[in-house]
Amino acid sequence: MIGDKLAALRRRREEVLAGGGPDRTEKQHAKGKLTARERLDVLFDPGTFSETQTFVSHRCRDFGMDAETAPGEGVVTGYGLVDGRPVYAFAQDFTVMGGALGEMHAAKICRVMDLARAAGAPFVGLNDSGGARIQEGVDALNGYGNIFYRNTISSGVIPQISAILGPCAGGAVYSPALTDFIFMVEGSSQMFITGPQVIKSVTGEEVSMEDLGGAATHNRTSGVAHFYAGSDQECLAMIRRLLSYLPSNNVDDPPPGPFSDDPGRTDEALREVVPADTSQGYDVRDVILPILDSGDFFESQAWWAENMVTGFGRLGGRSVGIIANQVKHLAGSIDINASDKASRFIRFCDAFNLPLLTLVDTPGYLPGAAQEYGGIIRHGAKLLYAYSEATVPKIQLILRKAYGGSYLAMCARALGADIALAWPTAEIAVMGAAGAVEVIFREDIKAAADPKAARAARIAEYQERFSNPYAAAARGFVDAVIDPAETRPELIKAFAALATKRESRPAKKHGNFPV
Amino acid sequence: MTTRKFRVTVDGETLEVEVEELASPDRPLAGQPTLGQAGGAVSAAWGPPPPPGPLQPSGGSPRPGQPAPAGRPAAGNGEKVTSPLPGTVVSIAVAPGQTVKTGSVLLVIEAMKMQNEIASPRDGKVLEVAVSQGATVGAGDLLLTLE
Repeated sequence: MIGDKLAALRRRREEVLAGGGPDRTEKQHAKGKLTARERLDVLFDPGTFSETQTFVSHRCRDFGMDAETAPGEGVVTGYGLVDGRPVYAFAQDFTVMGGALGEMHAAKICRVMDLARAAGAPFVGLNDSGGARIQEGVDALNGYGNIFYRNTISSGVIPQISAILGPCAGGAVYSPALTDFIFMVEGSSQMFITGPQVIKSVTGEEVSMEDLGGAATHNRTSGVAHFYAGSDQECLAMIRRLLSYLPSNNVDDPPPGPFSDDPGRTDEALREVVPADTSQGYDVRDVILPILDSGDFFESQAWWAENMVTGFGRLGGRSVGIIANQVKHLAGSIDINASDKASRFIRFCDAFNLPLLTLVDTPGYLPGAAQEYGGIIRHGAKLLYAYSEATVPKIQLILRKAYGGSYLAMCARALGADIALAWPTAEIAVMGAAGAVEVIFREDIKAAADPKAARAARIAEYQERFSNPYAAAARGFVDAVIDPAETRPELIKAFAALATKRESRPAKKHGNFPV
Repeated sequence: MTTRKFRVTVDGETLEVEVEELASPDRPLAGQPTLGQAGGAVSAAWGPPPPPGPLQPSGGSPRPGQPAPAGRPAAGNGEKVTSPLPGTVVSIAVAPGQTVKTGSVLLVIEAMKMQNEIASPRDGKVLEVAVSQGATVGAGDLLLTLE
């Protein structure tokens, strides 16, 4: 008797597992894409994925939908282990009605989102969908709304990660946008609110799908995406890597990483990275990599707002979030996009108990009418807000220039840096020497017999006084001036000393972040 | 307040109408003080004065220095490399006809008291150098064209 029932179960399961059938699966493969279930197999530790709500089906009776079966409702949902830790996920199945989202498709996603939040486990969405299932009308629309609401409520509770592994257009883009990180794949991902056809009919602009919303566009131009992968496999491996730095939820600590790198390791090459000539640039990654465990740095938004570097690494096995000015781009100045990028990254780290390491070498906020008209005031304020608001351990390390407002904006003592360190090359001042001399000694220089010589003398005097870390150290704004070679051991000791830091804020509904 | 009289003809019937012209922040009245010149009281009454010069295109923050997305086909007469920031061209490392690799230095712009190396966004051949040493450039100005 049970044999018959088992046979029936097997048959029903096989129907669902077949998805859209062999032809459509072949088409998916021909595009260089994996199917939904293949993707989940790559994402999770082998054999750990369990599916939820396998047999859910739609209840639409309009436009011939009563005759239409959609195996699994075009989406696979469930849970499994990533590096041994529970993670919840959905994967839209493009082989079933183009992965279109209907009422029950959305309900499956919402169910697994609710479970992830209840369990305090990360949530990963693998998006590959043609959009709303039009036949279902407002029920499909409502489904998107239910997902957006859950993305928002889960924000800051569990890490939420989105991968765009196919089309993602119209309202569908806003669920990924509400999550913490977006991954895109070269050649197969597209995200846009309105597609090329609509744009052509409305504005006359002609633009291809890839140029409008491909992985390169969103990683370089718009800043919508955080990570760029060459294939589905690479993308899923990168998601696993990202998860390795993150705690499962907001009350958990990041997992201790595997590390074999000596915490006491010094590096004399660091003394030579920052050029003595302050007008010369360098790559700040040449400072970051030698400091971190095994040079392991996972950079987020590496191709957008390149004047600010953000990413994850480990120090003595502890995950940290790193924010650094990149002198190689725009002289390391802070502009609208850099403020936006860094502040969102800081808030993510703060929400998930990742200590912050800030490396400072910036000449200031980027001057220019375009920046002012673009609202650098309100965007720049985000950086001040994000650092002040963050209660995780915060360490500031000043490599070279730290002038004026940008010194404050890069996690200064006043904004709550627990430990502020500086290299001997640091220059902490209200502004650069030449500019300061123009303001303070304008009259003196004008009156001098040789104004040029007088200016040079005053600049030299100002540099002697302030173009070093000791004026700030004398006020206690810098705790220690360290030998660059000893940066790694000093940082590891400081973060270890701060590991049990607790800081509370006044009870409130929420602050008014300057978005 | 300016009141003007007009004669209009509608369906063969001629009417004389009196029209009062109202000011708006975008279009000050002829003969009326321009916004921002009327003793300072105007901005308070009218809100912000019109922005000087052309407005930035709406719908996006300015993005200086963003490299062109990979894979974008080169425009008809080559890919333009523009200045990511305002400054002075201190040296030019390439000449027309020279082939360059992604990331190789094309020229150096001094800005914010820094020597900013402008790197090639892709492999290619320099078609034309649009600036000379010592030239002052603004953000977005054409520096050179790649084939």
